[in-house]
Amino acid sequence: MNNSHYPQLDNVEQIIRAFENAGYICTQRIATVVYLAAALNKPILVEGPPGVGKTELAKTCASVIDKPLVRLQCYEGLDESKALYEWKYGKQLLYTQVLKEQLGEVLEGAKGLSESIQRLHNMADVFYSYEFLEPRPLLKAMEQEHGAVLLIDEIDKADFEFESLLLEVLSDYQVSIPEIGTISARSKPIVFLTSNDTRDLSDALKRRCLHLHIPFPSVDLEQRIVASRVPDLQQNLNDQLVKFVHALRELDLKKAPAISETIDWARSLLLLHADTLDPQIVHDTLNVLLKYEEDIATTEGQLHKLIGQASA
Amino acid sequence: MTPDSGSGSDQLLVFIKYLRGRDIPISPADSLDAVHVASLIGYQDREQLKHGLAAVLAKSRREAQLFNAAFDNFFSIEHSAISNGSDQANSEAQSSDARQTQSSENTEQPSALAQLADESSSVAELMQTPLMEALTQGDEGALAVAIEAAAGAADIKSIRLFTQRGQYIRKLLDALGEQQLRDVAIELESSDQAAFDELQALRAELLERARDRVERAYTVFASGDTDDFLDEALSKVRLGNIAPHQMARLKKLLDRMARKLAARHGRRRRKSRRGQLNITGTLRKAVTTDGIPFEPRFRTIQRRRPQVIAICDVSGSVAAYAKFLLMFLYALQDVLPRTRSFAFSSNLGEVTHWFDELPVETAIERVNLSYGGATDYGRALTDFSALALQDINRSTTVIVLGDARNNDSDPRLDILADIKSRCKQFIWLNPETRRAWGSGDSEMLSVIRHCHIAAECNNLKQLERIVDKLLTDMHSR
Repeated sequence: MNNSHYPQLDNVEQIIRAFENAGYICTQRIATVVYLAAALNKPILVEGPPGVGKTELAKTCASVIDKPLVRLQCYEGLDESKALYEWKYGKQLLYTQVLKEQLGEVLEGAKGLSESIQRLHNMADVFYSYEFLEPRPLLKAMEQEHGAVLLIDEIDKADFEFESLLLEVLSDYQVSIPEIGTISARSKPIVFLTSNDTRDLSDALKRRCLHLHIPFPSVDLEQRIVASRVPDLQQNLNDQLVKFVHALRELDLKKAPAISETIDWARSLLLLHADTLDPQIVHDTLNVLLKYEEDIATTEGQLHKLIGQASA
Repeated sequence: MTPDSGSGSDQLLVFIKYLRGRDIPISPADSLDAVHVASLIGYQDREQLKHGLAAVLAKSRREAQLFNAAFDNFFSIEHSAISNGSDQANSEAQSSDARQTQSSENTEQPSALAQLADESSSVAELMQTPLMEALTQGDEGALAVAIEAAAGAADIKSIRLFTQRGQYIRKLLDALGEQQLRDVAIELESSDQAAFDELQALRAELLERARDRVERAYTVFASGDTDDFLDEALSKVRLGNIAPHQMARLKKLLDRMARKLAARHGRRRRKSRRGQLNITGTLRKAVTTDGIPFEPRFRTIQRRRPQVIAICDVSGSVAAYAKFLLMFLYALQDVLPRTRSFAFSSNLGEVTHWFDELPVETAIERVNLSYGGATDYGRALTDFSALALQDINRSTTVIVLGDARNNDSDPRLDILADIKSRCKQFIWLNPETRRAWGSGDSEMLSVIRHCHIAAECNNLKQLERIVDKLLTDMHSR
């Protein structure tokens, strides 16, 4: 079963290579799921702690298949007028005013009230037609001629009801608009949903998706990721800093540093021309890695031990 | 594994059944997806197959963990069984040394059976069957293939219950053609002791292998079913009659029940939404005022924060139930964080903090220790009204778990009436059967008048049904 729209995603090894060229080191698991998503036309539900590259995965996928990325950021209170479509009320109002005179022409010569009404009925329902439709991200993704990547970010932040709204889009790739009818995708997009696990998603939604959990990477993988993102970094510093971050994740922290923070830290160290982890520099740049004062305080006490471990 | 996809997808369906037995719910649609995935990825790369199947079959992290363990377990069993057959060349190479020594032994001292073959036609016939050849020559590969074939013929995959194992071992042996061995053995028993012993040893070996194969089939195909069966049975047993050795299973069941209720209801807790401008509504309204949006409409969603106050009787008369009710209360408090729990027999106190902080067993022990004793509803209700009556409002549901047996003292029905008038729902769950209500010192009949719902609740099924209904009602209002 080949997917004609996304030839770049035709087999797993190819995906691993293509993503690596685009700067995203993916495991076989991630690549397998992306491959299946393209082959089975199923959305991917990506779960995992913040900062492990869930959103990045969708962006990279869009750049690999060279298709536009349509992004829908979820938040509490997100509803269909923000996610699916909205009528252009202003335009409708304006047109009714402008077209008032037209009405006279249409009704000219009509005898009696019932005939006038009959004539009005015969006019098409112009104000609720496609021209007055303001597509929002979901509809926009369906309308892309040559496919797209649809990223529904942080779905767990949206209300429970919103999930039900998504079901039609996710399983049939179509949007129903009562006034117009059903709009089907011109070409099925690849859909990524991301979730930070702040709440359980409904079974109905999970059932329609491929499930992918991205954990914190292994030392080896993270080193490759850092090397690919910060190519100027020296190998031994890369080695040390990744080990240091891994040691940090073992501690009891409010928020463990994620890959994105590792990368930021690597960039900071590069800017500071550090060629080895020395306590002073680590101390000064710890706020790049840790985002809570109490975490920083916890870590500072053990700084020498941690650096010792990382350099070993 | 097997090269042809037909038997591969059979294997896959069996695997899915195995997963269901491991408490991973898989719908028919999921199975269909799994078959698609397997046909896309193929069975050659096991790791990749595992990743692919995990994506469609395991829907959460908990399930992913179960899946990984189950995949490794299942395919290692199946794989070893098949590789015995299909990688015969391999195993033959390994065992060829062993076999050579064995066959040389055979030639050196011909067995009593072999000697007898020259004399008796039935023994000769027996010795020529492939099964006997494999057995006497110790040909592991051939034996494994024969057993797999027999396992297929005996439909060993249908095994469901622990008690069926004997039956399936027999079936498997019959399919292997063990009958012939038995017949010859009967014949030899009186005539040739040495040959008889030899044959019996071979039969014992065969029995051992058959048992092994059936055990394996049981762990793969049936242990989940048996678990389901026991769970199902347990959920209908009266809570007072559950034996101590079933506690572990019961606890698992309660946990699962709470998880189910949490999944169904927990997420609906929500913060109120700020009223947003409802443009469609505003414009529709504006039609009557010539398009001028005179009256803006707002979307408002009411704040729905169910609060449950649970009061549990832990006195001697309900001692047998109290433990389960407390266990359930504990689980409920996990599902609905705004649950407050109270326990009483004569005096009453709040136990919410224990349930929050302590593991379930310790918490229950602590509750029993502090509040166990003789029942006095009057005193307990007085305590309760002092502690929590002012916190009961229109969004509160009050649940009492108790038998309403009050040792003939004043039950203080006036407090019940007060609670009822303040709360949204007042529910009394009684572990006694409805027939016993009102008998002896039971005040249940007068209590009923002050409850919105009074229900019998003495097994898990009833408990689950009532709480599910309760939570549903709470959300729909």
